[in-house]
Amino acid sequence: MTNIASTGRARAGRARGLSTKAAVHTVLLGYTIIAIFPVILVILNSFKNRRGIFSDPLGLPRGETFSMEGYATVLTQGDFATYFANSIIVTVSALFLILLLGAMAAHALAEYRFRLNTLLGIYLILGIMVPIRLGTVAILELMVDLNLVNTLLALILVYTAQGLPVAVFILTEFMRTLSRDIKDCARVDGLSEYRIFFEVVVPLIRPVLATVAVFSMIPIWNDLWFPLILASGDATKTVTLGVQQFIGQYTVNWSAVLASLSIAILPVLGLYALFSRQLIAGITSGAVKG
Amino acid sequence: MSDLVLKDVRKAYGEARVIHGIDLDIRDGEFVVFVGPSGCGKSTLLRMIAGLETVTGGDVIIGGEKVNDIVPADRGIAMVFQSYALYPHKDVYGNMAFALRHAGEDKAVIDERVKKAAEILGLEALLKRKPKELSGGQRQRVAIGRAIVRDPEIFLFDEPLSNLDAALRVQMRVEILRLHQRLKTTMIYVTHDQVEAMTLADRIVVLRDGRVEQVGTPLELYHHPCNRFVAGFIGSPKMNFLAIDPIDDGRRVRYRQSAPIDLHVKTRSGAVPTEIGIRPEHVRLVEPGKGAFDGTVFVVERLGGETFLHVDFGHEEPFVVKADGGVQLRSGDVVGLVFPAETLHLFDAEGVAFEQTERHALLG
Ligand SMILES: Nc1ncnc2c1ncn2[C@@H]1O[C@H](COP(=O)(O)OP(=O)(O)OP(=O)(O)O)[C@@H](O)[C@H]1O
Ligand SMILES: [Mg+2]
Repeated sequence: MTNIASTGRARAGRARGLSTKAAVHTVLLGYTIIAIFPVILVILNSFKNRRGIFSDPLGLPRGETFSMEGYATVLTQGDFATYFANSIIVTVSALFLILLLGAMAAHALAEYRFRLNTLLGIYLILGIMVPIRLGTVAILELMVDLNLVNTLLALILVYTAQGLPVAVFILTEFMRTLSRDIKDCARVDGLSEYRIFFEVVVPLIRPVLATVAVFSMIPIWNDLWFPLILASGDATKTVTLGVQQFIGQYTVNWSAVLASLSIAILPVLGLYALFSRQLIAGITSGAVKG
Repeated sequence: MSDLVLKDVRKAYGEARVIHGIDLDIRDGEFVVFVGPSGCGKSTLLRMIAGLETVTGGDVIIGGEKVNDIVPADRGIAMVFQSYALYPHKDVYGNMAFALRHAGEDKAVIDERVKKAAEILGLEALLKRKPKELSGGQRQRVAIGRAIVRDPEIFLFDEPLSNLDAALRVQMRVEILRLHQRLKTTMIYVTHDQVEAMTLADRIVVLRDGRVEQVGTPLELYHHPCNRFVAGFIGSPKMNFLAIDPIDDGRRVRYRQSAPIDLHVKTRSGAVPTEIGIRPEHVRLVEPGKGAFDGTVFVVERLGGETFLHVDFGHEEPFVVKADGGVQLRSGDVVGLVFPAETLHLFDAEGVAFEQTERHALLG
């Protein structure tokens, strides 16, 4: 009697486990579809001609709707190779500066006891709450004074400033959880504070650096605002700005827009793959107890 | 020479004073254990010796040289941390070689020293492993190996065994002892485990609230604790304490209405004994009515080789008696208790111990 009851209960439990699993996966799957759908749509339509895009936006490119005209336009009109190079230079340089300066600031805030530590921390992360675009006019004036308008450096500096607050915030929180012993051990081993940072701390925070990199990368790559204002010259155009030439006031060359957007996804994917390789969990396990 | 001298060493974190002037003299080659309850400042003191905390008052002197302002790496010390603190991205060899490589030591010398340390600690087979592929005991061994490789004048250990399970702790304790016998280097070892302190130390330093309570060999502390705190801290199970009334001008004492108990202590002018302490292993059990007084056994803890009896006779604090493993008593039994006079510790109202007269002869 009890036996039957208990197996019945076990079966019910298993069934419940299975149904929650199914529900969870349904939700996840739904979310994935919603998230990926626009991307797929962009890529699909980039292989169609104008008529194909409008007559059957959801259909696969085939027969008379298939066309590479978008890609042909992108590759012949304008200087997309330069735009790509610009985007990549700006994104990678800004990311590098965000990670380096952010991690160093976070290390100092988490590791050293000094007066105004808390105040400085708050000051550094205040930027999370104040959108940098509010300062556009001042930034533009500053860049004009510094003679940096229409240079990639202007963009790099602005994006570094934009990305630092979140980076400092996340990294400081994480650095506070790092074992103090391991840094002290390095001190006893005779490392300078800089080498402790680069040789002991940085390897320990690599997964978090990768996370911060992914988070900071997308807004920089996609930004249209600052390239438009600070670097709209043809030599300094970024991809997002370059695409705009196909969007006229009266007509939009959709094939070209979609083709350039499809190409623009590739470098982001590449960078993401690079960082996600670093996102190996548990890299710190074994360093300290447990 | 690597004598270590602490002269009125103090530490304050802002307003909070943590170490209140510690004087200590540690001879070359000595194994000294700092012991004390949690938060008493053991780690802080050790870290000050290491140079990881600034000294806010007094001097730390290693080998005759004041080292207050010298960085850890130049103090001739090596430290083993409670959390092992291995570099997770380096393998065992890399961990052990790190400090030497950094110091620009010759490759052949590094290799020789690492191999030697690995041999001492039985790590030869593990040199290519990463820390996460090691067990807790192996990790701790690597941490010790890393210290050995640096060939320091003084080893500093901060609770190195507290993350290990009981069996491994005993094993590592023996290994550390043998390491000391082999290297004959000064070692300073922090623990809050009094068994570790008793078994490892040449001398024990008992700390409380940032002050030294007593310094002495393990047996000195066991037989002649200078106050109630040390008496209660050293020894397991803890010493029993009973409030007593002095009679016959303090030559004898009485617990409530018990028979008078003789004493063998030097009286001090102005100090009246108010409390006796007796270790569980020194209480003798007799037939009810034949001892100083009777009590009821209410808990029997059998460890096999010995038995701990918790006896109730209407006092506030627990009272534990250590008996044979084969003792036939059960909870609820009434027993008589005898306190042999030469084993008694006597304390005044401030907890300061009275010096014993008879015990030297009896127990050394
Ligand atoms: N950075 C700090 N700021 C303020 N107080 C501190 C700081 N570090 C330690 N303390 C205080 O100093 C005292 C001694 O700390 P310490 O770590 O030396 O204790 P401990 O004896 O090692 O204890 P445990 O056995 O728990 O390790 C504690 O009361 C602690 O609160
Ligand atoms: Mg401690």
